[in-house]
Amino acid sequence: MKKKLKTRIDGTYAFFTGIGMLASLVVAGIIVPLVSKYDPNEVSSSQILPPSSTHFFGTDILGRDVFTRVFDATLIDLGTAFIGVLIPLSVGTVIGTLLGISRNRRINSLVGSIIDGINAFPFLIFVIALVAFLGPGLRGIIIALSLVNWARYARIARTRAVIVNQQGYVEAARTLGYSRFRILFKHIIPNVSSETRAYALSDFIIVIIAVAALSFLGLGVSPPQAEWGAMIKAGSGIITLAWWESVFAGLALCWAGIAVALIAEGLTRRLREGNQK
Amino acid sequence: MKNEEILMDVKNVSVSFSAGGSTIDAVKNASLTVRAGESIGIVGESGSGKSTLARVMAGLQTPTEGEVLFRGEQVFKGHKAYQNNTRNQVQMVFQDPYGSLNPQLTGLSAVAEAVRVHKKVKKAESEKNALELLQRMGIGKLDALKKPRQLSGGQRQRVSVARALSATPSLLLADEPTSAIDQSAQAQLLKLFLGLLDDGLAIVLISHDLGVIRYLTQRVYVMKDGVFVEEGETEKVFNDPQVEYTKLLLASIPGELGKAARRKLEH
Amino acid sequence: MTTSVNKSLLDLVDLEIGIVRPRRKTLVIVSKANFSVNYGEMVGIVGESGSGKTMVCRAIIGTLIRRGASVIGGEVNFEGKDLSKISEATWKTLRGKVIGYVPQSALAGPNPVLTIEKQLAEALKNSHGTGSIKERSRELLDLVKIRRIETVLRQYPYQLSGGMKQRVMIACALASEPKLLIADEPTTGLDVTVQSQIMELLKEIRRELGTAIVLISHDLALVDEVCDKVVVMHAGATVEVGSAKDLAKPRHPYTIALNSSRIDTVKPGGDLVVIAGNPPSVGEWMQGCRFALRCSLKEDDCTVGEHPPLFGQRGEHQSACLHADKIEDLV
Repeated sequence: MKKKLKTRIDGTYAFFTGIGMLASLVVAGIIVPLVSKYDPNEVSSSQILPPSSTHFFGTDILGRDVFTRVFDATLIDLGTAFIGVLIPLSVGTVIGTLLGISRNRRINSLVGSIIDGINAFPFLIFVIALVAFLGPGLRGIIIALSLVNWARYARIARTRAVIVNQQGYVEAARTLGYSRFRILFKHIIPNVSSETRAYALSDFIIVIIAVAALSFLGLGVSPPQAEWGAMIKAGSGIITLAWWESVFAGLALCWAGIAVALIAEGLTRRLREGNQK
Repeated sequence: MKNEEILMDVKNVSVSFSAGGSTIDAVKNASLTVRAGESIGIVGESGSGKSTLARVMAGLQTPTEGEVLFRGEQVFKGHKAYQNNTRNQVQMVFQDPYGSLNPQLTGLSAVAEAVRVHKKVKKAESEKNALELLQRMGIGKLDALKKPRQLSGGQRQRVSVARALSATPSLLLADEPTSAIDQSAQAQLLKLFLGLLDDGLAIVLISHDLGVIRYLTQRVYVMKDGVFVEEGETEKVFNDPQVEYTKLLLASIPGELGKAARRKLEH
Repeated sequence: MTTSVNKSLLDLVDLEIGIVRPRRKTLVIVSKANFSVNYGEMVGIVGESGSGKTMVCRAIIGTLIRRGASVIGGEVNFEGKDLSKISEATWKTLRGKVIGYVPQSALAGPNPVLTIEKQLAEALKNSHGTGSIKERSRELLDLVKIRRIETVLRQYPYQLSGGMKQRVMIACALASEPKLLIADEPTTGLDVTVQSQIMELLKEIRRELGTAIVLISHDLALVDEVCDKVVVMHAGATVEVGSAKDLAKPRHPYTIALNSSRIDTVKPGGDLVVIAGNPPSVGEWMQGCRFALRCSLKEDDCTVGEHPPLFGQRGEHQSACLHADKIEDLV
């Protein structure tokens, strides 16, 4: 009973396809707003026009060109998500590692409880609550994401750090008389962050969606700045008449998500193929 | 040999662990000495406490009782073992070739790092030194640039030895260095150790295989359940074992040695 | 069980194993392996890591596919049937029943979530024999010399030592009284005392049940001591086959080198021969004899053409060295 997989996504194909998709999105996000003849925020009287050769993605309710806006939003959405992952990744990895190698029971249980406590809350709801408290806008989003997400990375880092700390090469580093600083930053953290970085990749997708969701709820960037979530929301009210704003913004979001997913899949497969000896 | 200075003096060392209510006495009142340039063996099965004792000697495990002196100075005083620049004098090679090397560093980087830390030289110089050390261990330039997962078990062990040697120790502890590698790799490693002994390094070899011990060591301590049940010159222990346990260990050596020991037992 | 002396149970004829890769050349892992196992015989396969010995073992129990490999040439004849051509359904009737397997102690072991009693019951499920499963479980544990049978039956693998776990694995493998037992490095990672007990156990199993045993190891001293026949492999090829006595006078430079790197036959601190370099890895095999580059007796014709085949008759002392006769004069 041999199941033959119809489409075998080769590790390398997935990886490079994903990179290609993401890169093209980023490049478009830089170039389109520069070369487009429309200003993304320029209001005009050509309202709710369907896609045409002059307006590739049509126009929205204020007559703005959707095509330009979709790509103008790219760097905002991707950039915010990127920072929203980078900060928790760095902070969480370091705190989690320190916790994993610490032998101080009190600190371990105290910080450990904080981590478990934060992780117990549903991610998006907690972020929304914090943003509502801190005030809308990019700054609020990034702070809220960081405050909630670092704990997820810390938990992964802590578990991994306990294992790494017991490895022969760490003991060897101690016998060799390496400073605690060196052991931590050159031997332990790099081997812990390999796990947290892997998590970061899939987390990136969730955060992109979270950023869009927050804007959808009105807690994100303030208008008139283009942003995918806000555009989906704006277009949702008239979606039966004018589907293009929501749909194209939504497609851009999906494109970004699939690109990152392919990159993550490609990397996992490449690792597995590399380990098969 | 008798007149060489005493490098390590283990005096009545005991190590106990408490695990969930009960205590495990891994090492009970063990004493041994190692002189400069000597080769000592500690033989015993798993659970005998030999690895724990080795870790005490390496400064990785604080004894519950007793003391360890290196060149006359206490090893365990203060919160860190081996203070005052004696840390690099005692180095260790571990059993598991797979976990002993940082998977992200090439052999060259790992050894060069050790050289940099101990000799305080710049990167280029440390890499040159590292390559020489690795060469002595039979690891050529191409292999030095490989990561651990691309190397065989024997090669990984030799990289570990090179790394340990960059600290220019006077005593090398080897905890079952050949147990996880092929017979041919074992021969290579043992021959290497022989060369290091010729260079004046003292080696303490921990193993469960008396065949390996016989090849390399001058004196041996037989350990069972945390205690030394027999000790003496390796050749004497081999030809005239006093204790039943030692006879059992001798009879278990694979190949000709075991056969010979079993024949003797039958008389 | 009566064993017909010198009657062949398993015959490997020019067996070739490789990994077929789409759009690339097939990667050959084992080339032309040749040896036989007679009923009730104990055969040892010796080689360094990467010599192909484990792959040969997998070919005999039909698990090559799990490593993406397959038989690309030759035959694996078991009681007349070519195992390389049978279906997975047929394998299910052989594997674990007529051909038993004991894995490397460090890598696999009894199922950690089942008690020993349940493991044995599962192993005994499809086998025939007199007595209830309970009785036969006890017999098996007794066969592998486990003393506190009642206690052990109730325990989980984590409560047992490495040696005990291996005995349980051997018991499970013997449940259906297989004709052939494959033991893949069964004592690697275990103490020598345990190793010697397990070797004694295997010898006794062979004596009492008449099971043929294939023992895979990297330790020549070990194999030399317990096996009737020794097969030496290097870089995917069988380079020498002979009885343990034959191999005391080896006829292949690799075997000579291996023999000279044994610590049990050399005096303390004596000269151990270290084979220069490393065995060529799969895919990097050169023309001619793959040992040539490391061989001290290399001659010009050793590095051209195909790898030398095994010269000599099956069942006698065979060697894959073009200049084996010169070696005889040296030794």
